[in-house]
Amino acid sequence: MIGKKKEEELIGALLGDGERSAELDAWLETPAGRQAHAAYGRALAALDLALGDVPAAEPRGAVYYTTMQSPVGPLFLAATERGLVRVAFGGSADALRAELARRRVARPLVRSDDALAEPARQLEEYFAGRRRVFDLEPDLRFATPFQRLVLGAASSIPAGAVSTYGDIARSIGQPGASRAVGQALGHNPVPIVIPCHRVLAGGGGMGGYTGGLEIKKRLLAIEGVVGNLSF
Amino acid sequence: MVKGAEMDFSALAERHRPEIVAYLTRLLGSAEDAEDVCQDALLRGFRAAERLSAESNGRAWLYKIATNSALTFLRRRTRARARWSMLGLDDVPAPAAGGTERAAEVEIVVRAVERLPPRQRAALVQRRFQEMGYEEIGAALGCTPETARAHVYQAIKKLRTELERKPR
Repeated sequence: MIGKKKEEELIGALLGDGERSAELDAWLETPAGRQAHAAYGRALAALDLALGDVPAAEPRGAVYYTTMQSPVGPLFLAATERGLVRVAFGGSADALRAELARRRVARPLVRSDDALAEPARQLEEYFAGRRRVFDLEPDLRFATPFQRLVLGAASSIPAGAVSTYGDIARSIGQPGASRAVGQALGHNPVPIVIPCHRVLAGGGGMGGYTGGLEIKKRLLAIEGVVGNLSF
Repeated sequence: MVKGAEMDFSALAERHRPEIVAYLTRLLGSAEDAEDVCQDALLRGFRAAERLSAESNGRAWLYKIATNSALTFLRRRTRARARWSMLGLDDVPAPAAGGTERAAEVEIVVRAVERLPPRQRAALVQRRFQEMGYEEIGAALGCTPETARAHVYQAIKKLRTELERKPR
């Protein structure tokens, strides 16, 4: 055998590509053969160490959704394995599907009332005035870091209280960012559960709301706030 | 028809996703890039799902779209090096006897893999870690099984050459 062919047969043997020939076995008894065998063995062993174990892919399950009726109209709810990703006023599976595609998230969107049973139950209790704190984990992976900061600050406003865009901006250490705070809250993926409706404009104005001002007032009324405000 | 194909593709993609991400992580040297490229590949797959029914082997087809996305990504990647440290180079076992030497060899091999032409690298990873034969590798790379085999052997020869260049 010429050298190149012997080496290739050796590589094939090490990879389990085929039967080893008697010729190859004979060559492997020679010093050159032994050296080549050891060298390729080391190369493959190092390769296995380098690339054999890779971090396991995070399991990517479906995004589950359901719809429910509420005093503020139909609600669309969606959740991943990590938690609630969407509460939308009158939203639809098509809208979420389009958003997932835009965000390049290739997950199936599956209707499941069971997967959303707990968020739906807590929301029903809230609308009935029997719940003031949600015990739900939102999945905010799609939110920007700034938005997460703002949503975190909004989450700490208790039911029955209100804050302002300026207060939130100051609380996250960016006093000049009232406008950006308003925008971040306007894109709250899980309104009601993260209570951006408790954030008002300075000077007694209502500010805006993702679901419209009527819904904002309605939610504040449920929490017993509206009567105390002057608008 | 298209709806059914999309559903088939979803199921296929979910089933093989971990394997494809592991493959892309080995190929790209970064779990993060692998996730991005996998998303890109699966989206392309969704869009082309009606063609799936014509393909007899769904797994091979997934490897094909994943490999195409990865090769495109590698061409565009402006960063000089992949982030191989993601692959746990730091945790290479260092047993008392010869441990340092082994770690050095792993480092050399990693750099050598990084310098391989992307198609050789893809073929090597598929053969060694993804349990693919040369027919399947050829299907994923769009070449003949013979060329696929040549890619793998060339790659391994280069790894050996690099290791032997190592100062002792």
